[in-house]
Amino acid sequence: MLNWDSNVFPGILGRTCDRPCEPACRRVRAEDTPVAICRLKRVAADYKGDIQRYLPTIPSTKNGKRVALLGAGPASLAVARDLMPLGYEVHIFDRGVAGGGMMRSQIPAFRLPEKVLNEEVDLVLDMGVECHFDYEIDSMKNMLSQQFDAYFIGTGAPRGRDLDIPGRNECSEHISIGIDWLSSVAFEHVDSIKGKVIVLGGGNTAMDCCRTSRRLGAESVHVVVRSGFEVMKASDWEKEDAMAEGIPITNNRPPLEFVHENGKLKGILFQCIEQVEDENGRLKSVPTGEPDVFMEADHVLLAIGQENYCPWIERDLGIAFDKWDCPELHEETLQSTLDNVFFGGDSAFGPENIIQASALAHKAAISIDLFCRGKDVLKDRPVAGLRLSSTKMGMHEWSYDSNYDESVRHAVPQVDSGLALRDIKVEVELGFDEKLGLEEAQRCLNCDVQTVFTEQLCIECDACVDICPMDCITFTPNAEETELRASLKIPAENIEQALYVSEALKTDRVMVKDEDVCLHCGLCAERCPTNAWDMQTSVIQVPSLAVPSLPLTEEG
Amino acid sequence: MIKYNDFVIRFANVNGSGSASANNMFAKALFRMGIPLAIRNLFPSNIQGLPTWFEVRVSEAGFVGRREGADIMVAMNAETYAEDIESILPGGYLLYDASKPLAKELHRSDITEIGIPIAAMLLDEFSDPKQRSLFKNVVYLGVLSKLLNMDFEVLSDMVHVSYRGKDQLIRPNIAALEIGRKYASDNLTSPLPLQVRHSDAVGDRILVDGNTASGLGFVYGGATVCAWYPITPSTSAVEAFESYANSMRIDKQTGRKNFAIIQAEDELASIGMVIGSGWNGARSFTATSGPGISLMSEFLGLAYFAEIPAVILDVQRTGPSTGMPTRTQQSDLLAAAYASHGDTKHVLLIPSTPVECFEFSAESLDLADRLQTPVLIMSDLELGMNESISEPFTWDDESKYDRGKVLDKAGLDDIERFGRYLDPDGDGIGTRTLPGTHPSKGAFFTRGTSRDSYAAYTEDPEHYVANMQRLELKWKTAAGLVPAPEIDTRANGEYGLIYYGTSALPMPEAIQHLKDAGIEIDLMRIRAFPFSEVVFDFVESHTQVFIVEQNRDAQLKTLLVTEGSINPAKLPSILYYGGLSITAEFISSELISFFEKTASPRISEVK
Amino acid sequence: MTFLAKPSVRHRKLKLNELGLSHRDYEGPVSTLCAGCGHDSVSAAITTACAELSLPPHRFAKISGIGCSSKTPSYFLDKSHGFNSVHGRMPSVATGTSLANRDLHLIGVSGDGDSASIGLGQFAHIVRRRINMLYIVDNNGTYGLTKGQFSATNDQGSTNKRGVPNLYASIDLVSVAMQLGATFVARSFSGDKSQLVPLIKAGLKHPGFAFIDVISPCVAFNNHEGSTKSYNYVRDHDSQVVNADLVLPQAEITTNYAPGEQENVTMPDGSILRLSKLASEYDPRDRLAALNYVQSKAEVGEIVTGLLYIDPDSSDCHTIMNTTEQALNELDESVLCPGEASLAEINASFR
Repeated sequence: MLNWDSNVFPGILGRTCDRPCEPACRRVRAEDTPVAICRLKRVAADYKGDIQRYLPTIPSTKNGKRVALLGAGPASLAVARDLMPLGYEVHIFDRGVAGGGMMRSQIPAFRLPEKVLNEEVDLVLDMGVECHFDYEIDSMKNMLSQQFDAYFIGTGAPRGRDLDIPGRNECSEHISIGIDWLSSVAFEHVDSIKGKVIVLGGGNTAMDCCRTSRRLGAESVHVVVRSGFEVMKASDWEKEDAMAEGIPITNNRPPLEFVHENGKLKGILFQCIEQVEDENGRLKSVPTGEPDVFMEADHVLLAIGQENYCPWIERDLGIAFDKWDCPELHEETLQSTLDNVFFGGDSAFGPENIIQASALAHKAAISIDLFCRGKDVLKDRPVAGLRLSSTKMGMHEWSYDSNYDESVRHAVPQVDSGLALRDIKVEVELGFDEKLGLEEAQRCLNCDVQTVFTEQLCIECDACVDICPMDCITFTPNAEETELRASLKIPAENIEQALYVSEALKTDRVMVKDEDVCLHCGLCAERCPTNAWDMQTSVIQVPSLAVPSLPLTEEG
Repeated sequence: MIKYNDFVIRFANVNGSGSASANNMFAKALFRMGIPLAIRNLFPSNIQGLPTWFEVRVSEAGFVGRREGADIMVAMNAETYAEDIESILPGGYLLYDASKPLAKELHRSDITEIGIPIAAMLLDEFSDPKQRSLFKNVVYLGVLSKLLNMDFEVLSDMVHVSYRGKDQLIRPNIAALEIGRKYASDNLTSPLPLQVRHSDAVGDRILVDGNTASGLGFVYGGATVCAWYPITPSTSAVEAFESYANSMRIDKQTGRKNFAIIQAEDELASIGMVIGSGWNGARSFTATSGPGISLMSEFLGLAYFAEIPAVILDVQRTGPSTGMPTRTQQSDLLAAAYASHGDTKHVLLIPSTPVECFEFSAESLDLADRLQTPVLIMSDLELGMNESISEPFTWDDESKYDRGKVLDKAGLDDIERFGRYLDPDGDGIGTRTLPGTHPSKGAFFTRGTSRDSYAAYTEDPEHYVANMQRLELKWKTAAGLVPAPEIDTRANGEYGLIYYGTSALPMPEAIQHLKDAGIEIDLMRIRAFPFSEVVFDFVESHTQVFIVEQNRDAQLKTLLVTEGSINPAKLPSILYYGGLSITAEFISSELISFFEKTASPRISEVK
Repeated sequence: MTFLAKPSVRHRKLKLNELGLSHRDYEGPVSTLCAGCGHDSVSAAITTACAELSLPPHRFAKISGIGCSSKTPSYFLDKSHGFNSVHGRMPSVATGTSLANRDLHLIGVSGDGDSASIGLGQFAHIVRRRINMLYIVDNNGTYGLTKGQFSATNDQGSTNKRGVPNLYASIDLVSVAMQLGATFVARSFSGDKSQLVPLIKAGLKHPGFAFIDVISPCVAFNNHEGSTKSYNYVRDHDSQVVNADLVLPQAEITTNYAPGEQENVTMPDGSILRLSKLASEYDPRDRLAALNYVQSKAEVGEIVTGLLYIDPDSSDCHTIMNTTEQALNELDESVLCPGEASLAEINASFR
């Protein structure tokens, strides 16, 4: 439920998330690969069992407030999920035939089976959301006239960027916008693609396009990217999966021209560039001087970016847009300049991802709730907090799995590739099973458990210094931070991570701990003869309508 | 009737009077005449002034065990006149310094008294009293040479050999010899009916003591480290090792030693050093006696369980403390076999002759390495400190040292995971590594028994038991590797006789006595512990088996009974433990009286 | 103790030595001693020192006797062989090791019970023999494994946990060592690695017998008020005389010293032992004066620490014995066995 409370779409995100959490995972400070957080969320969702009794009850008597959610994508669904239990009457409007938005139209079924999508979308809609599907939203003015108490705009970034180079218009028949094409595939308007396919672009959409083409019968599929391999926007694992399916990726080739014969596409002419470091150490593209390269193509899929696009919001309604045509919003409250209109998802700050959409939606939901209750959407917001409690149970016994698991990141099992490539609906990843999932979870470094040092108890025996596997504890004379950082057993170079510095001890030294590399293994506390070290578990509270507030012990 | 080459002559002297070298010259001269003999030194735990006896048994027949009673007594110590004169057999001879008349009550009518005014004669020759006392010993040699009809040239050659490098001593020694010889010619009836003559009974055999042979054996066996604490009667073994090593183990180029000898602070330290060296793969030994074994016991147990090669030469004596520390016994057997706390047992090698001392010392180093365990060589004072006739030493230059199962770096590279206490060959012997061998493999922590087969610490009963069972298997392997018993079943009788160590010296003579009494008996000389199946088969195949031992408690019998689950009644003991070595007479008379008492029909007709 | 293993994961920026190894490569499994035991700090200091000297971690031999201290060789240098021998007899096993293989770096770890009581004899004699080794006593003044009896280094008048005073005079191991001719004698404190680690390094490089008496508090039985071997007492009564720092031959000398007298001693391998005097009147090369100083400070309850005495021209047992330079355990029959030919002559000598 924890998973559902904050993620809203654990099963979906457990398959498709961009995983901004994984680079932040502390595990990468110890070794190369983070805990497979994303896939663990999926395991949790896969093995959740019957959750009916844990779901919030929806008041049969509504609170009299009506909220319109425009778009039925992840952002709107998340807002609905947060508001429904509070008694709001929620209406969702979408031009599609079912909820899910881009999750349905742009993510191919081999990554996200429809069943999973439907289940999690329905979990929200079944709370009693009024659905207005097949509803073309063409005027905000009209919507406003329907007199909802609040509006939430979650229509995403639905327009795929085009490529304006010679030949584009002449052979438009053979050139498709990636997300539109994916959507056509999703809704089964398109079920094949012929000949040689080139996918332009280096993001996840490009990867979805190429892998979908591979499944729809393309003779060959080739991804060509303007930039270098390392700076491609696609997630590493998406690139790996595409390449694993035998799709070549060619980098440093900006397209120059669509070559055609009387409107019949022949291929694309590319420039050859390379990435060189300038004097500031930044990469920049420089032509290599090699002759331009021609690549044959019968069909081109453009996956070179998406844009916000809401021409249906009349610009005279009081909703201000900035120079990039994005709505002017308060960063925290997501309130637009029209006070009953809130934004979320990609509509708010441009194309991001589902998890970001959920996060913004949670915030927006709080704002809407406050707004509808006549409170100040900023000042009356709940604050983030932290609660600490000791995990020591006895000698060698901690209430968390303190020991460091040495295993490397477990790979997610996949179906046989032959089978996967034959059928677009066969999900490639099988997901961790329960055992593998638990093993992978053991790799977690327990960021929630903190080392807490009590100066008065310390006898400076060095036991913690000696046992620390990361050499992150030093007893040293105090100094200015820069000097102190340099004087540690191993200098603490990540200045973004604060040091943990004690008060002066009996020898006038201080205990300094470089929190950057701490594994939370608890060995310092384990080897401490006086309990000067304790391992305390912390619960961080991120404000959300879905999670009840905990009593806080300390400001976080 | 003249008796040739068959007598016991005993010299009674005062400790520190210089008699030892003279007496040795006498014995060696006889040996050079080709006559088999054995020398016995009986000395007190003292450096100067107390009585000491030097006895030579001369026997053309090769019966060189101790025999009671002297045929000739050279009584040069007034303090012991009474007992010395008493020990002369009827018909025997007494030589004494007649410079002072023999007390009336000491005279015996059944012996021949030969008084020689030695001191008086020397008064004219040497003014220095110390020299007088010294040459007194040489004068009686001169007398004896005449009385026994010795080859004087051989004797005077001995002087030259003995004083090689100290030439100024040769002339006065020869002079002293001449004085005695001349006195005998002039004043005595010579030669006596007891005489010596050249013989070829010695052949290529040598006259040497066991400790010297052991010291040499350790050099040949490749011992590089010797740690020891002085204790009689083992000290001379280390001195021999040092002396031979100094002459044969110094690098000619650098002058550096290819060996190390440490005189430790006590026996605990010596065995500790030996174990430390053995742990590192250097062949090492210590030499000690019973008290040392007691002190080493804790370490011996550790070496047994930690499986570290070590060699201990135990030259047995009576014990404990002072008392009769300079007398011989075979009384350390049990203490050595089961030395230490916990279930321990140790490999024992039991030599009987100097050449076996040499061979067993060399072989013990191989065995210790092969079995990764302490090996004790159970010599005794009789063998270690007394010279006796022995087969010469031989060495096969083709032979290689058996260093046992030691993995070097390449060997470690070849294996997946090293397990110190595994049993790769099913013989109970694990593979070991030496410190410093490999950067990442093969290091282990050596401790007692609290470990599994990979040398990781554990107190798990299953691991403990498995380890103990493997050690038991190793023990069985050892039984097949140690020197086999020497068996003589020519008598093919119902009775057997087991003996070991220095009881072998009087044994041919004892067997002759038995034969003379019409008794034939099968023989087995045990040479090692653990006992092989052959040993138990011998016991099994005889109705009764006598065991000859030189201790009170029948220690070898205890080992046999314990290890072979043998009915003790089947193993009657013949035990001598007076501190002197056992005699043929003792052995044969005990046996004969046994057979007489049981009126056994198995005694064949007296021939 | 703890049953948790110290994970092998390590800091990415861990300092590497000339062999490309960090101090983690010189560690062993997690100690089973009580949490906070001074002995564990000594073990950690040993790993640091060995790593800083860039010595190959498998080229050590670690020998110990019995007791808490003697368990510690399990917990450092796990690439090297260790030997937990019998109580008080570590010196003899170490001697044997040194005789057999003079090329190993030999570390003996003992305790006050092991070296000052049951093993005082062996301690005295290994000092005399100048075995080339580093001999460390983890000195806590108490018998830990048998639960808190006084040891022979426990100061007269100091009390046990129940307040009962020790009635007998204590044995001062550094004084004994100096008196018996040790050529490197130091005392340090487990709680002061900045002093201890350089001493261990210098001791390992010392050509001969190096002795370090490390006061190493027992948190379970001798860290109370009334103990003279507690963290607090030692910190309050520590009188540092000479700090040592070993500068390897190839290293650039960059260490900055607080003002005070300094003296360089060149070691046989070309490294420089830099001595900085904290007590200006102290001369670490004057054995008698050092003895006198240590004893007179002890009279007033002060614990003198640092490098107390060094004879830079010392030699070891092998030099004294003129042993061959090759390790004895490497010699084979071609060198060791005189062969049949020599026997002929020997046999002749017995005829």
